[in-house]
Amino acid sequence: MTLTAVEHEVTGWAEAVEAYFERGWTDGLPVVPATADAVQAFLEAAGREPGDVVLREATRRRSVTAEKVAINAVMAGCRADYMPVLLAALEAMADPAFTLHGAITSTGGSATLVVVNGPIRQRLGFNAGGNVFGPGWRANATIGRAIRLITLNCLGAQPGLLDRSTQGHPGKYTYCIAELEEESPWEPLHVARGLPRDSSAVTVYAAEGPHNVLSHYGETAEAIVVAIADTMACLGSFSPGESFVVLAPEHVQILARDGWTRTRLREALYASARRTVADLKRGGKLAGAVAPGDDARWVHRGQGPDDIHLVVAGGGAGGHSAFIPSWSRERNSLAVTREIRA
Amino acid sequence: MTIRILDPTVSAEESAGIAVAKRVADLDGKVLGLLHNGKVNGDHLLQQVREQLEARYRLGGLVVIRKSSASRVAEEAILDHLAQKCDVVVTAIGD
Repeated sequence: MTLTAVEHEVTGWAEAVEAYFERGWTDGLPVVPATADAVQAFLEAAGREPGDVVLREATRRRSVTAEKVAINAVMAGCRADYMPVLLAALEAMADPAFTLHGAITSTGGSATLVVVNGPIRQRLGFNAGGNVFGPGWRANATIGRAIRLITLNCLGAQPGLLDRSTQGHPGKYTYCIAELEEESPWEPLHVARGLPRDSSAVTVYAAEGPHNVLSHYGETAEAIVVAIADTMACLGSFSPGESFVVLAPEHVQILARDGWTRTRLREALYASARRTVADLKRGGKLAGAVAPGDDARWVHRGQGPDDIHLVVAGGGAGGHSAFIPSWSRERNSLAVTREIRA
Repeated sequence: MTIRILDPTVSAEESAGIAVAKRVADLDGKVLGLLHNGKVNGDHLLQQVREQLEARYRLGGLVVIRKSSASRVAEEAILDHLAQKCDVVVTAIGD
């Protein structure tokens, strides 16, 4: 196996870590120095040749090979057996529906949310439970970080250069969760998106940060729906784009107990997550002055119930779900699901 | 201990086979294309460009096109249309 990346010689491990900072090759945190031995091990684990093109970004004419993916994966702190997840996520990001160039450079400041489904969750040790968006789990942390390092190093989306995010959000360091399928009364995300139940899959989504939906005391499905829909209708993130709703186990158990199906929940959220044209104008979301009748004209979040993607994740205690708005305001970037071939 | 670290970056590929269009000496009699990226105010910027150019040259015609999405590259059909109809094209991003 012959690697083609240029090698730089340094005199020790600590100096190697510093060399990455000096060359502008990190996300601001130290990385693991990527040596040829480590990179070859990653490629062998993935069954890929160094020159295999994993992703091609046409706007900036970048081709990302398996070798470059492996280098950045080593740097991010991944294990070699994470490679298939990373490759599937990158292939999903290359789907034209994702609009990769716009998603990683826009002032909107999105990060690529990666949702993992299927048996690979246990095999690689993904966290789908407590603190699911937080630290402490190598697979979640390093796969999300590898996506960011590839975005920085291989796709030219350097902050202030091609990445023109006005603010961005912390998910731009890492943003990878798994679904807690075992706690869901419903079919998991990858099955809802057409894959077999026993397959493993990633879904990528150009996303804002998670908005907490605290609903502790209603203890009915209706109360939970009111709280989630109200969060989805918040003016700041309001758009006709897609939505991810990450349901806490406690919330989804109440929904199931009260007889709610996935379909009913999506329909109810779509029906309730709406604003008047007057509100959208007052908040600067639409141009123009409020006109007679605008208070009675309603606009929904998304284009229909199918634009609301449901995932179950989080700890066993606590009525905290999350709404994750799309970066895309309309149909410019859509969630994409790919099977993991491992 | 010597360590060799591998370059993690990717550079843009050369745009092989794409030649730069021949430059025009002036715009008298030329057809001007204006490609608006679809964002708010991009049209105002292009309108300013148009007025400035019209004050200086006797343009032979004008083609104005708005992209359907600022986030996506212009469709082939739009680029073909501009290439066929226009001598020069100005594009602008507004936000």
